[in-house]
Amino acid sequence: MTFLALFLAYPLFYNLRTSVHDVRLSQLLGGSWQFNGLDNYRAVLDDPAFWHSVRLSVVFTLGSLVFQFSIGFALALLFARPFPLGGLLRSLLLVAWLLPPVVSGTLFRWLLDAESGAYNALLEAVGLGSLSHDWLTDPSTSLAGVVFANIWVGVPFNMLLLLVGLHTIDPQLYEAAAIDGAGPWQRFRRITLPLMRPVSVTVLLLGLIYTFKVFDTVFVMTGGGPVDSTRVLSLYVYEVFFRFFRFGQGAAAGLLLLVVPLLAGVFYVRRLRREETTGGAT
Amino acid sequence: MKPPRHPWLLTAIAVVITAAFLLPVYWMAKTSLTPPDRILAPTPQWVPYPVTGENYSTALGYEGLTRALFNSLVISTGVVALTMLLGVPLAYALARVRMRGSGSMVLALLVAQLPPAIVLAAPLFILERRAGLDDTYVGLIAADTTLTLPFAVIVLRPVLRAVSAELEEAALVDGCGLPGVVLRVVLPLTVPGLVATAGLSFLLGWGEFLFGLTLAEEPGVQPVTVLLNAFVGRHGTAWGALMATATLISIPVVCVFALFQRFIVGGLTVGSVRG
Repeated sequence: MTFLALFLAYPLFYNLRTSVHDVRLSQLLGGSWQFNGLDNYRAVLDDPAFWHSVRLSVVFTLGSLVFQFSIGFALALLFARPFPLGGLLRSLLLVAWLLPPVVSGTLFRWLLDAESGAYNALLEAVGLGSLSHDWLTDPSTSLAGVVFANIWVGVPFNMLLLLVGLHTIDPQLYEAAAIDGAGPWQRFRRITLPLMRPVSVTVLLLGLIYTFKVFDTVFVMTGGGPVDSTRVLSLYVYEVFFRFFRFGQGAAAGLLLLVVPLLAGVFYVRRLRREETTGGAT
Repeated sequence: MKPPRHPWLLTAIAVVITAAFLLPVYWMAKTSLTPPDRILAPTPQWVPYPVTGENYSTALGYEGLTRALFNSLVISTGVVALTMLLGVPLAYALARVRMRGSGSMVLALLVAQLPPAIVLAAPLFILERRAGLDDTYVGLIAADTTLTLPFAVIVLRPVLRAVSAELEEAALVDGCGLPGVVLRVVLPLTVPGLVATAGLSFLLGWGEFLFGLTLAEEPGVQPVTVLLNAFVGRHGTAWGALMATATLISIPVVCVFALFQRFIVGGLTVGSVRG
């Protein structure tokens, strides 16, 4: 716990301290820091590039969440049924999630490459060659490109958690419904969906926390470009801090970035508490 | 759920989906084995032919790759050691010993997983530089452990709690001290959980990128993930060597996962938040 306080809580506190001082490269090691109150926050909030990043982060997160969740749900429904090799295939899918983000980022950079990327070749092979495209270097599709990669990374995790949720549903409910003459679609709508709601909210909250702070994948794929079209918030913070060395502003922007995960975290913890007291399983 | 009528039909569907999903991984391995002059052929080949190790020798010929692989190994081993050393006692205390504030400690651990790594990297950069810890293994290991430790404790707590309390009491009565109980009774019974946690910490340490990027300017300690990214810029078109490097980084991941997969899947569903 002391370690965590030293290496986690203290840096965060330190960040808070940095964020109210005017700190440049020259003052990094020695020198006195000039207290400047909320100037850094004001500078960040006045920066159009910051708001641009906020918009990108929102699109990135929502786009990723919607598809990760729906694809993950569909796969969970499939893998919830017992069939030969099911366990093996499910494990194989997880490999995608465990690969270091730098590796998957590099990988998608290659796959989405204009001239010899596999996806363009695939489009051509199925007769949709006219759709083939220089995905990552065209500012109008680069965001879609990184979202696509991030969906790929996130699907297995969504599937895994939703699968656990599906297994908690009492099979007798389905049998009873089938006897009462409910078709598969009705059983899905009346039993699966409502009973999966708590798990789904949890999965979406975790997805939100995780997606909002993605750095590696985007950084490796596009570095924020072309023309800032993929510079999500975490990359914005990185640039202000590590490229322009405006440490005070970087710290302030970092703390602003913390707002969304923190809010989601509060909701998540409150849900956990409630489930613990009511004895429900996640 | 009742057994489906055509189980093999489901298998077929699942195989197709899995194959489509894993296409990127296949493409990585395939590219790494394709002769460099064929990689950029106008119509990509689906099977590497002739199979070649050329990309691997090019990659390993790059200055610093073996060094970076070694660095990553040192760092992730250090992360595992530090995480377990700190995590096991903490998880045990939270699982077993009744003390004031353990509820809020668990809460703190959950919250500890929320900050994006970049928010930590910034102050750690200043702090470690002041303390002279930047560009050292210790600095990187400590930074990475901030990510693995909360996760490890959350995963380990239920594992350690599952050991029957009576067993521990019996050992205590028989004259075993508390450290003895933990070492001789609790830990041997929880080996699978411990191994899974260690495995997951290893994976996180191995794949970590941002701290390596910001806290290690000196190539002597940079992890291989940072080197891979540097290659993308510098040898942007040498896709074969790049994919060979990416494959080399992935191999330990796949191995660790294959060895401990059942425990890891269990651990993941408990630990929930990652990164």
